[in-house]
Amino acid sequence: MRLKVVLIVSLLVALATVAVATNYGTKKRMPRPEEFGNVVINNYSEKNNIAPVVFKHWIHRARYTCRVCHVDLGFAMEVGGSDIREDDNQKGLYCGSCHNGKEAFAATSREKLVTEVKNCDRCHSYGKDVKGQKDFISAFKDYPQARFGNRVDWMKAEEKGLIKLKDQVEGISIKRQAIAAPKDFDIKSTILGMPDIIFSHKIHAEINGCELCHPEVFSAKKGHTKYNMQDIFSGKFCGACHAKVAFPFYDCQLCHLKEVY
Amino acid sequence: MTALNRHDPAMRGAALLLLLFLAGTAVSCVSDTNEPAVVGSAFDDVWQLPTLPPPAQYGNVLINRLTRKSTHPSVAFSHWIHRRYYTCRVCHFELNFAMKTNGTDITEDKNRRGEYCGSCHNDKIAFGHTEENCRRCHSGTVASTDYRFAELSSFPKSLYGDKINWVKALRKGLIAPKQSLTNPNFESIPFDKNLRLAPEWRGVSTRASFPHQKHTEWLDCADCHPDLFNIQKKGTKHFRMDLILDGKFCGACHLTVAFPIQDCKRCHPDLD
Repeated sequence: MRLKVVLIVSLLVALATVAVATNYGTKKRMPRPEEFGNVVINNYSEKNNIAPVVFKHWIHRARYTCRVCHVDLGFAMEVGGSDIREDDNQKGLYCGSCHNGKEAFAATSREKLVTEVKNCDRCHSYGKDVKGQKDFISAFKDYPQARFGNRVDWMKAEEKGLIKLKDQVEGISIKRQAIAAPKDFDIKSTILGMPDIIFSHKIHAEINGCELCHPEVFSAKKGHTKYNMQDIFSGKFCGACHAKVAFPFYDCQLCHLKEVY
Repeated sequence: MTALNRHDPAMRGAALLLLLFLAGTAVSCVSDTNEPAVVGSAFDDVWQLPTLPPPAQYGNVLINRLTRKSTHPSVAFSHWIHRRYYTCRVCHFELNFAMKTNGTDITEDKNRRGEYCGSCHNDKIAFGHTEENCRRCHSGTVASTDYRFAELSSFPKSLYGDKINWVKALRKGLIAPKQSLTNPNFESIPFDKNLRLAPEWRGVSTRASFPHQKHTEWLDCADCHPDLFNIQKKGTKHFRMDLILDGKFCGACHLTVAFPIQDCKRCHPDLD
């Protein structure tokens, strides 16, 4: 019995040593514009011998606000967190809310799989050379530029009318009277010399509604949620969006702008 | 459940195999991070400082990610030619160049479309990506820019590397590198906090000094944070000299481009 314990402990030590030898103190690779915000969903795909789904945020955010999927359709904010199954989609939940042949292209039904598989590949595309209908670079060439992420300034693009975002999906969303967004406010920096943040409720509420952030990511009472930049870097609070999808936290001055501009 | 019998030959075999695996892992870990086998008395043997190229070739890199598989000569990129006109952040932040040779997916097509080198080498800002100019970059040797090094002869001197004190050159106004290609009104965050980093070894009193401002004159916050250095106080793990020598942390720049690690006193001013 003792030998078994020793064996297990030494195996754990060996694994821990391997884990420590990972990449610290090195630069991560910056994603290319067309890769930013892409996520691979693989809860069940590979187990069922199907290529995992590559979900591209940029295709969807050029047409819908964030809240359509993350509030009305109930998509989680982390990869694989929604536990989507084919059955859900066929019944009109999650992706199937829109990908039903009316709002967007439909999933191929099982009966037609023999004759018609082309739509499968449009989402289940991981590791395949699938050419999308839109080529990222040519599609967004003339859009207002941003410095990071998709290199597209989505907010300016909307202002200029280059994209029109749907905020409701028929049959799913239930329209409510919008609550007037609270005023913009400063978030004081705790480090001397670091400019304060000006946070605009209005800009955020337009695409997120209230429900996306409150009360889980941020509590509703001002000053109640304590967080620091390190938390944001590790994907919490602002980092829930501004790490992977919204303009990334690398662009310091876009938030820390009080004394800069 | 069957109890394990330590006299069982099969179990002994398994234990032996595990030991071998452990030894193998230990060896591979050491070779992964180049951790020195001796730590303690023999410091001189521990700090195996890399040999430096001639000053004119310090910071020159040969980019051969694709060319080594083709007949085209590789690209020699000289940092000292570029850093006179542009700060580090222009290329390593705005243009998305990686901090490692061959770490960026540069292709001819992308250059022609105005990405990477093509952002400037488009015949407007700098010479274009055209046939008569091929050899100016695709020279195949890091010595190709040696003949221009004399242009820097009037710059303030330093001891190692390209032997030029770029920080002084900037302060004296001998160079005025552009800080941004995309934003003409760019201003970096005025953050001039000096850090004094205490050593973690008992009995050693040599501290390291880190001036933020001298770095933000060239770099963007995001060049170092949060990938190289976590911003939480003492949140950066494994921040050790031997790992810096392995190209991590400060070593990302201070081995190959910024003043080299040989210049101990510029970071450790109270060193004898």
